[in-house]
Amino acid sequence: MSKQKIKVIITKVGLDGHDRGAKVVASQLKEAGMEVVYLGMYQRPEGIVKAAIEEDADVIGVSYLSGEHLVYTPLVVEEMKRHELDDVLLIAGGSFPPEDIPCMKEMGIDEVFRGGSLTKDIVDYITENVGKKG
Amino acid sequence: MRQNQASDKVMDNASHVDWEAYLKSYYEKPQSARTWSGYELKEIYTPHDRVAEDYRKDIGDAGQYPFTRGIHRNMFRGRYWTRREVVGIGSPADTHRRAAFCFQQGGSGLNTIADVTYEMGLDADHPWAQHEVGLTGVNITSIQDMETLVGDIPLDKVSWSLITASTAAAPTMAQYVAVAGSKGYDIATLRGSVQNDPIHFRYCGFRPACPLDLSIKLGSDVMEFCTRNMPKWYYTTVNMYDLREQGVTAPQEVAYGLGIAMCYMDELVRRGLHVDEFGPRFTFYVSCHIDFFEEIAKIRAARRMWARFLKEKYGAKNQRSMQFRFAVHTAGCSLLPQQPLNNIVRIAYEALAAVLGGVQSLHCCSYDEPMCLPTEKGHLQALRTQQILAYETGVTNVADPLGGSYFIESLTDKIEEEALRYMKEVDDVGGMEEAIRTEWLDRRFESEAVTRQKELDNGEKLVVGVNIFNSEPETTTPLGVQRIPRQSAVQQIREVTELKKTRDEKRLRKAIEVLREDAVAGKNTIPAMIEATKAFATTAELLGTVREVFGYPYDPMGILDSPFR
Amino acid sequence: MARLKDSPDVMVRKMLSGDRRAASRLITMIEDQSELSNELMKLIYPHANGSTVIGVTGSGGSGKSTLTDHLIRKFRALGKRVAVVAVDPSSPFSGGALLGDRIRFQGHALDDGVYIRSMGSRGYLGGLARASNDVVRIMEAMGFDVVIVETLGAGQDEIDVIHVAQTCLLVLTPGMGDDIQAMKAGIMEIADIIVLNKADLDGAEMCLRSLQAAIHCALGQEEQSWIPQVVPTVAYASRLEDIRGIDELVTAIQDHQLYLHESKAVEEVKAKRVEQELALVFKDEVERLVFNGLRGTGKKQRYVEAILEGKTEPYSVVEEVLATFLKGDVVK
Repeated sequence: MSKQKIKVIITKVGLDGHDRGAKVVASQLKEAGMEVVYLGMYQRPEGIVKAAIEEDADVIGVSYLSGEHLVYTPLVVEEMKRHELDDVLLIAGGSFPPEDIPCMKEMGIDEVFRGGSLTKDIVDYITENVGKKG
Repeated sequence: MRQNQASDKVMDNASHVDWEAYLKSYYEKPQSARTWSGYELKEIYTPHDRVAEDYRKDIGDAGQYPFTRGIHRNMFRGRYWTRREVVGIGSPADTHRRAAFCFQQGGSGLNTIADVTYEMGLDADHPWAQHEVGLTGVNITSIQDMETLVGDIPLDKVSWSLITASTAAAPTMAQYVAVAGSKGYDIATLRGSVQNDPIHFRYCGFRPACPLDLSIKLGSDVMEFCTRNMPKWYYTTVNMYDLREQGVTAPQEVAYGLGIAMCYMDELVRRGLHVDEFGPRFTFYVSCHIDFFEEIAKIRAARRMWARFLKEKYGAKNQRSMQFRFAVHTAGCSLLPQQPLNNIVRIAYEALAAVLGGVQSLHCCSYDEPMCLPTEKGHLQALRTQQILAYETGVTNVADPLGGSYFIESLTDKIEEEALRYMKEVDDVGGMEEAIRTEWLDRRFESEAVTRQKELDNGEKLVVGVNIFNSEPETTTPLGVQRIPRQSAVQQIREVTELKKTRDEKRLRKAIEVLREDAVAGKNTIPAMIEATKAFATTAELLGTVREVFGYPYDPMGILDSPFR
Repeated sequence: MARLKDSPDVMVRKMLSGDRRAASRLITMIEDQSELSNELMKLIYPHANGSTVIGVTGSGGSGKSTLTDHLIRKFRALGKRVAVVAVDPSSPFSGGALLGDRIRFQGHALDDGVYIRSMGSRGYLGGLARASNDVVRIMEAMGFDVVIVETLGAGQDEIDVIHVAQTCLLVLTPGMGDDIQAMKAGIMEIADIIVLNKADLDGAEMCLRSLQAAIHCALGQEEQSWIPQVVPTVAYASRLEDIRGIDELVTAIQDHQLYLHESKAVEEVKAKRVEQELALVFKDEVERLVFNGLRGTGKKQRYVEAILEGKTEPYSVVEEVLATFLKGDVVK
């Protein structure tokens, strides 16, 4: 039994308010047939995971821009582990140096989409990997 | 044996060239003849395409109304543009060091940028600030931080641009003026600018710090204070650039930017100032995006529109009021993490457009901005890009070298016409303040941003490394990565905590009370902020006090209460 | 922890013992119209009773989410645990949905006394009403004191959704004067409380008057013991002090609840809801039964052709099919 619709949480975390990318991705995933819950700005890791539980989300997409990815990623991952969300995909979008990508993956991010990503890349990744984790 | 293998490999590679694709590429022609903003262009422009009929009236020489060709008669022969780099990193001391480095390397202006906590009006010891202090700029919590940032930089000589855009620009001015005063400068001699455009900053993620009425109030307080006390200071840089980064087109950038400028101007007129008192002090931050001619045309159109608005709508008499003074920041959103060295080329083209458009002050992005904050090498590369332009290419010799081109003049007319159409649209929804209040403008930005992504997705806009000529993703950043020392933030938070324990509480409370009374009485809040900052009131305390008077929560994040109750 | 492989009774037991992930997964199964939904609902139904269910409907941009946010805050202040199901339209083209209501509910992002579920309207075969009704039942079974159903007021389907609620709020804004004239009696059908939001806008006074006139006019036609209240509000203002009417709205809701309980009308409302549930489930199940029975027989196609050729019409076909099916079923 698999779910009919892929449900995705798209969110910012912390104080950074560059939300253009997050909103664009949310809108594009909707057009790809997914149900997207957009949380908006200034989220804390606890709130993101609470929303993911209540929405029975398959994917959490966190948008970073200001170098906060190394600070907040472990906090989000830790909170997901605490609630045993081990089958939920965690993806990150935004600006970060390529050097940090292995490190982010080690921390628990499943995939990373930087500036210049095409919608198709994100949609394909989600469609292929959803439900396979955990 | 080894040699053989190598030559085999070369042979192998050559035989793997797709010659069909080669042929296709040889005969390939551009798929579209549209500008970045989507305007269809003709094959060639001729004298028939000139819309502007009267040279004197519609174009004029550089230095002459309506300043289409530039605000100075001889443009760069009189003075190069100011070559700036934006600096803001870690602690005030870290930022001071990087600023000094840029001056040593021939930078002629200084821009220091606030971090998210400072822009949001949070002190470094705010519970939400701990992870982000100094991450994207500098946090100034108290007058002590401003003292460290300034250090031994001669404030009456350098042109210092303080990039605080939100309502925190008011505390920034207070801190700067207080430090300048304590160092013995006559504030009337200070040169430079503060960004102070809180209205636009709601679109950059700072809405809690920038409610519309408070934005107009504090923004205009800074402008009014400086008009009366700091004749050499440019006290607002209306930020069209950030609007463009939302994904809007060239004429929308101009239309919405001018619309926001007029919100402040209307308030200053209500306060009894004459347009010729504040007009000459207004400056703009303009984007230079990747469409070369369209950006030049946009700048020329903006100059002409500003001149006409100031003269015809606001009744300016002084020519200086009618001159559209602007800084360019090359378009950060045009840069990509894919094949990052290409960004150096993009930045150079954008900078060239800015200079041909007659820029007063230029900041080139660093090539590494899509990956991290600028590294020292990235900063230097950006500065060198400007210096090559200024000293080697000869573009400084003649004012508005593209003026009179059938194409450029026609495109200038087109951008102006479209920008006026967008301004009319705003008028139709009840004016700029209404468009902001009802979130009409938000919806505009959102739909434009989605359109831009679709253009990339469907290949309507081609971008090297994204939808054409892709290559394997890089695993390293060519010139290294800028890391923010977390120790700086820890230190900063510790110092702020210490300061709050050791300052003279009685003096502080008295100063805050004066600020509160002034705000209640509708007076200009800057003088009381200056006094309070001398009593070591912090950024959050200054802003929070005024916020409460205006009916907003003391803390923009809504979790702290005022310590003065 | 809830797993897809858990059997219905395990899932339900986990949900009843407070496992939110199990509850959320059950809601997904309802949304997906899973084959197990009936089994699940059979197990859940006996536990689902006793919440105060409030419906909030109104057109897009009328401020429903912001009002709901205020209601959550007020009920939390009264010590109530609150669940919300916020329905947003799905795209008819892609089937996807952008569910943005949580942005307005950020103030409760960390509050465990609040449970929020966003729901796309999708293209439900049996209508959105059944799915949302089942979701509300699950939230009731989870033990929430208050369940708020928020939905776009765009036609009969939404009105069916709102019938789940004991107290229905219809959110209007000034400038809808003409619509109000056209709605008149309809308003009374939907709303126990009419919220005139954005009451600081021009035309609010006039709109308020025409609303009251409309209610008066409708009252004349029918005997009614509850007169819909009109509450003007300003749900969003950048300054806190400019927000108005929220306390009055909560009082109106409490008044209506009190009326229901004192007049025993609450029993009537509950009966009405069960009646509707019955109708919805019937409609859904009969449709499913019939279409499942026809599947693979080629009969459906033949019926369509016959209708197109003018040999028969849909009414006779349905009569004929139902007669066979019902008989067959009874025989079984």
